Amino acid sequence: MALESIRDKKIRSFLTMLGIIIGVSAVLILVSVVQGYNADLTAYYEKLGVNKVLVSMTGYDRTNTTDQSSALMDWAEETLADRIIGLTPDLSTTGVLKYHANTSDTAVIHLGNEQWSACSNYTLDRGRDLTAADIKGRSLVCVLGAHVAKALFGYRDPLGEQLMVNGIPMTVVGIYYPKDGSAEASMDDCVLVPYTLNRRMLGSDRITDLSIKVQGSTQMAAVLAAVEDWMAENFDTATGDYTVENGNDAMQAAEDETASIQVVLGGVAGIALLVGGIGIMNIMLVTVTERTREIGIKKAIGAQRSVIITQFLVESTVLSGLGGLIGIAVGLAGSLLLGKLIYDMILLPDPWMTAAAFLFSLGIGIGFGLYPAVKASGLQPVDALRAD
Amino acid sequence: MALIEIKNLSKIYGEGQENEVRALDGVSLSIERGEFVAVVGASGSGKSTMMNILGCLDVPTRGSYLLDGIPTHHRSERELADIRGRKIGFIFQGYNLIPSLSVWKNVALPLTYQGVGERERKARALEALAAMGIADRADSRPMVLSGGQQQRVAVARAIATRSPILMADEPTGALDSKTGGQVLQILRDLNRAGTTVILITHDNGIAAKAARVVRLSDGRIVEDQQNTPDELCPVGDNFSRAPAVERGD
Repeated sequence: MALESIRDKKIRSFLTMLGIIIGVSAVLILVSVVQGYNADLTAYYEKLGVNKVLVSMTGYDRTNTTDQSSALMDWAEETLADRIIGLTPDLSTTGVLKYHANTSDTAVIHLGNEQWSACSNYTLDRGRDLTAADIKGRSLVCVLGAHVAKALFGYRDPLGEQLMVNGIPMTVVGIYYPKDGSAEASMDDCVLVPYTLNRRMLGSDRITDLSIKVQGSTQMAAVLAAVEDWMAENFDTATGDYTVENGNDAMQAAEDETASIQVVLGGVAGIALLVGGIGIMNIMLVTVTERTREIGIKKAIGAQRSVIITQFLVESTVLSGLGGLIGIAVGLAGSLLLGKLIYDMILLPDPWMTAAAFLFSLGIGIGFGLYPAVKASGLQPVDALRAD
Repeated sequence: MALIEIKNLSKIYGEGQENEVRALDGVSLSIERGEFVAVVGASGSGKSTMMNILGCLDVPTRGSYLLDGIPTHHRSERELADIRGRKIGFIFQGYNLIPSLSVWKNVALPLTYQGVGERERKARALEALAAMGIADRADSRPMVLSGGQQQRVAVARAIATRSPILMADEPTGALDSKTGGQVLQILRDLNRAGTTVILITHDNGIAAKAARVVRLSDGRIVEDQQNTPDELCPVGDNFSRAPAVERGD
């Protein structure tokens, strides 16, 4: 009977559900978009390389920095060897790359050692990586990011070719696989040269930044502590300062940030859902008032109060449940569509969130449907019959 | 023991206030099984209030009401609903059918509340509709039927439950005299088959069709007499008898 009255008033039923549909789909879409953003961010940090300890020294006496850095590297290689994947000076600059008539000024010029690609999550595609001999001999060689290789050389094989890096001729010995979409200003828009060219390229011997790639997240704390201890013991803070950073912290901070965005957006969408629920209550109130006479008739011919409450309850539950299901469908479609458009990934609403949104809409339907039904069914039949 | 017995029944609206209205003022009445009673009175005489109380649709302010020997006051809502469903069939002036349900579902509705299974519900509804001569409209919506047809559906609903008491509040009020006559004839046929009929009306001509006439005025019974019912021939009427009613029980 409840279903019949829904079918009887299709447009009204649809409008009633619309609030729930919009609410549920808004919750799902907003939350998935934030999750997509989060996934995108995590992917970015993963490309950048996770589980790194970053050591940075500032304002230090020039010669000492060089000494300290090499001392740190020597120490780390000796004592941390079984806990780390690699260790590299991690300096960078920008400049102009030139190959014949082609130039590029967006590339980042990294200065590192033969372990830099392992530390920074780059994989060699062709040719060779830097070698210890390159570092020691200050060879004028470089390894190109995928975008630089494509932008400067086109279809020509860059291996063995010479290009100008800030006016210094360098021979291309290797090319990295693309790891970041191979676009301009992406992580693939880079070139790696031996860090020992720093005096020529940066005008300074100083090695201010070092990256240590740790074997796994479980080793992070131990390595971090060891490095901190070593720095505290060997670094003269009277003439400079240093920081030892957990590279995962930035990712963690970003994740925390998106979590709070998620809460805010989810809250906004939750308000939309609540408003949808109030819409249901409104319609149920009108429906019940409109049908007070019907309630009177039913009571007169022997309907128990519970029967009448049940009828209206079923009606509002079906409305909100159906609205919830349609909302989930819309939310699913919206998430997929936005995921494709914004992040180019398959974005699905979180199953827990979906279940929660559905249950919430159902709860709203039941809660807001109950009140008018209880109110109307409590009337004396004669009073209900008198209503028009 | 009388089927219906009321003693000193009063229904007072706004008691103790300046605009206090005594719709019923100390009424006593007893109705035996199988009677055909017309409660007649002018508008405002308290006859509808009487029917509402007799039908357990409303509660008296004071006085007692025994239905089938059982007192009805201080009954829970649940019990009252059950009494209405099993003992009393209602026919209202405005038919009071539910527009969203088909004719047979309207007739079967009280059976639903009594927990009768769907198959039997439909069978009994169709039986009652056949008795009223409108079984062919079973699947229509009430709104597409004429007034007379709708009232027959309402009567079918009242008899489908096989209730021992039938209460009709101005059942012919919205009908022309011919169809009104048909409805009255149906009530008489039901009464002959054993149903106690209580007919509320303001029309003395209709009341004259009943075996007993109770006249109300200003909330009091001013007349209660046996009557030799007229044969059903409304003035200027050439109406044919309604189909004979066959009771299922």
